[in-house]
Amino acid sequence: MGGLTYTMLDAMKMSTAEYYGKTLCELGAEHPDIVGLSADLAKSTKIGLFGEAFPERFFNVGIAEQNMVGMAAGLAKAGLTPYLSTFAVFASMRALDQVHTDICYQNLNAKIIATHAGLSFGQAGSTHHCTEDIAIMRAMANMTVIVPADGIETANAVRAAYEKKGPVYIRINRGFDQVLYDRPDYGFRLGKAVTLHEGTDLTVIACGACSWRALEAARALEKTDGLKVRVLNMHTIKPIDEAAIEAAIMDTRRVITVEDHNVIGGLGSAVAEVAAGLGKSLTFKRLGIPDCFSIIGLHEDLMAHYGIDENGIMAAVRELMGRDFEADENWDDEV
Amino acid sequence: MADEAIYAARIFLNGALPLLKPLVEAKPGLAKAFAGKSGVVQVSAILGARAAEYEALFGPAAPQAGPPRAGTHFLVDGGAVAVAQGTHPSPNVELEFPSLEALNGFFSGKSKKLPRIRGALRSPGLFLATMQALLGMAAALGAKEAPADAAGRDLLVKLYFYLLSSGISQLNKAGHPAVAKWARTSPDRVYAWAVEGKPELSAYIRVKAGQSRAARGTYERSKPFFTMSFDSSESALGILLGTDDMIEATAKSKIRMLGAPEYGAMLGELMLTVAGYAK
Amino acid sequence: MPLTREEKLRLEQKAHELRKLCLETVVWAGSGHIGGALSAMDIMTILYHKYMRLDPKRPELPDRDRFVCSKGHIGVGYAPVLAELGYFDPELLKEYNHTGSPLGMHLDSTKVKGVEASTGSLGHGLAVGLGMALGARVKGESWRTFVLLGDGECDEGAVWESAMAAAHFKATNLVVIVDRNKCMIDGPTEEVMGLEPLADKWRAFGFEPLAVDGHDFDALAGAIDAALAAKDRPVAIIADTVKGQGIDFIAGDYRWHYGSFDADKKAKALESLERYGQARIAKARGE
Repeated sequence: MGGLTYTMLDAMKMSTAEYYGKTLCELGAEHPDIVGLSADLAKSTKIGLFGEAFPERFFNVGIAEQNMVGMAAGLAKAGLTPYLSTFAVFASMRALDQVHTDICYQNLNAKIIATHAGLSFGQAGSTHHCTEDIAIMRAMANMTVIVPADGIETANAVRAAYEKKGPVYIRINRGFDQVLYDRPDYGFRLGKAVTLHEGTDLTVIACGACSWRALEAARALEKTDGLKVRVLNMHTIKPIDEAAIEAAIMDTRRVITVEDHNVIGGLGSAVAEVAAGLGKSLTFKRLGIPDCFSIIGLHEDLMAHYGIDENGIMAAVRELMGRDFEADENWDDEV
Repeated sequence: MADEAIYAARIFLNGALPLLKPLVEAKPGLAKAFAGKSGVVQVSAILGARAAEYEALFGPAAPQAGPPRAGTHFLVDGGAVAVAQGTHPSPNVELEFPSLEALNGFFSGKSKKLPRIRGALRSPGLFLATMQALLGMAAALGAKEAPADAAGRDLLVKLYFYLLSSGISQLNKAGHPAVAKWARTSPDRVYAWAVEGKPELSAYIRVKAGQSRAARGTYERSKPFFTMSFDSSESALGILLGTDDMIEATAKSKIRMLGAPEYGAMLGELMLTVAGYAK
Repeated sequence: MPLTREEKLRLEQKAHELRKLCLETVVWAGSGHIGGALSAMDIMTILYHKYMRLDPKRPELPDRDRFVCSKGHIGVGYAPVLAELGYFDPELLKEYNHTGSPLGMHLDSTKVKGVEASTGSLGHGLAVGLGMALGARVKGESWRTFVLLGDGECDEGAVWESAMAAAHFKATNLVVIVDRNKCMIDGPTEEVMGLEPLADKWRAFGFEPLAVDGHDFDALAGAIDAALAAKDRPVAIIADTVKGQGIDFIAGDYRWHYGSFDADKKAKALESLERYGQARIAKARGE
């Protein structure tokens, strides 16, 4: 990932979305085929930064997401590489027919940056929450789904999206995430999970805002409980890193997934699909929004409320460690 | 301390004596001695003053004749040897020690006082085979150096692994303070001993919240939480017999701590604790 | 520029051929959207045979003109146009709708050369066409984009999002043609969901609407010329057409949005098309 020189210091000053906006500008300068689109959310989604740098390559279509996605398809067909951005709830549902038919079906080179995902727009309520988009986008053939954990990872994802031919869906938050990485060259590769913490007792597989929280939980658990928890940042949900999941099951036999998304259909389900296919026994728990529409609140408070923050993860780990996965309850020594 | 006698006895009765089985299986001479023989051979120690605590010390009592005793017996059937913990109501051959201390003394080599032997005349073949096996075991475990032949080394490593894993588990079940504390606070984990390329020599112990189970072979369900792995039987014996320097062995990768390395030191201490009672 | 007599005659002959080929294709396919295909055939004929700069041998030509058939269900009419031009082997039409065939009810841009966009879900084509037109602008290229909409399709809100945007971005390299055949599946458009005043709606959204007879090549040519010359406002040609035009027993009947022809009906239809086509050719000859 050449060209990125951000350090933790910069990261602390920039929110996730600003990172991506700046990275897109850099990419745009390198590649004249990149165009940007927004649906009256240029300021909120920070794609406006690209718009200011390249006004003749940026189209704000107003509050018309379906038109935006259709236009992106047309621009891609004209040989350009459109990056379009709006809130996740609108990108994945309001304009889904267009994403499905105009972009995925025709395997076009459009890159969707879906912001304010999960419960990150907590106080706006369910009309602006999006806890279904990973499930939806996973089911779209030809779509690559990335859920970066912090600003630097978002920058890496935006670059990787350019290199990957075909539709890409990148899901980020409002932009006030904890910083996970301090440098961009930690080894981001599309489709490969990043091991944030080693361990052999249990594996926590996380994505997005939950990755940092899983890491914090693992550190705390090592101190207080003497537990060695492996933490995987599964930034690419599709194609998912099956090898990492298999290793986690074989090495630790206990897996917890955690995501700012419905427990149905997201990262947890994707991991469960791989696990079920492997046919190896394991104890397994999905942490996420429990198939309900969320209450309103600040993102941090909501994550605590639904048990997907550090404390929720720690409690789940402790619970799973107590569960038997051996049917055998024979405690006699073998003679 | 009387409790020390319990710990040692459990290691001998439930850790060492069961080694007879793999020993007989590995040595053609011993197998031949047992061939065609059937019956029950028992090694026991009279409990005396501590009889009332039998259940607390050794687990549920099996039916037994005579004064209360702790024991281990072998069920020989046509030459095949099976080990059973606890006592048998009517063994054909019995080696009866007057006390736990006497049993411990004998098996640790500190005392030469023989046990009272019953049934030797009525079942001479069985008795002789058993004595042969016990002496063979004593010789093997008492070795100060590694055997010259490869098969002998492999067998000794296997015997040691089995002894250590069951020894630790027995100390836990007996309530040895240090071992029980380790087991009590442990989440469900498996610790294994292995020699690279020789899975048939492996042993492991599973611990969880105070429970423990020693087992033979490799743990299949997942990667063990921790494995003490030796690159060869020679290397294993070098450490187990104390002839090699641990640090040097680690530096040369003769011994590798797989999994959570900081737990290697803890396991090493547990192994030394067992050795303290067994020698 | 007005059509010359030769041009007009040529177009009439071509359209006649294509209408018959469309009917054949519906028979090969088993059934098809015959009504909307026939109402749009003259529009597609004049675009492909007079105005669009294309090379069927080089469908990826970077500066080719683009046609987005937003009313994607008229594949049985659109495919014959492409086949006849040589984008693919016309023999393939005989396998229309068969299992595994590249040709199906809605043409697939990933499978059929010459098809610019996979349409079929109504309301998408104008957005895609607008994206293409703006793409041309970004790249500094001068090719044009033509989008054919159905009139019922104009119920879709997405159409108006795109219309507003096209006007806002002054996409005059985009030409919209609405096939105003006044019928949809459940009945006449004005009974199901009234569109009138349709021209006023397009005007209100920033377009210059031009209402013409969709079966009159002279009128169509005049409108397309005006559209291509537009400077400030893109043009929406509202082509007044007849659903199923050319086959007398289906013309104007909304129930023939979709249908099939057994041997008997086919013979009657072919006969009707022959009479209709010959009459138009004769008129073009000035007889």
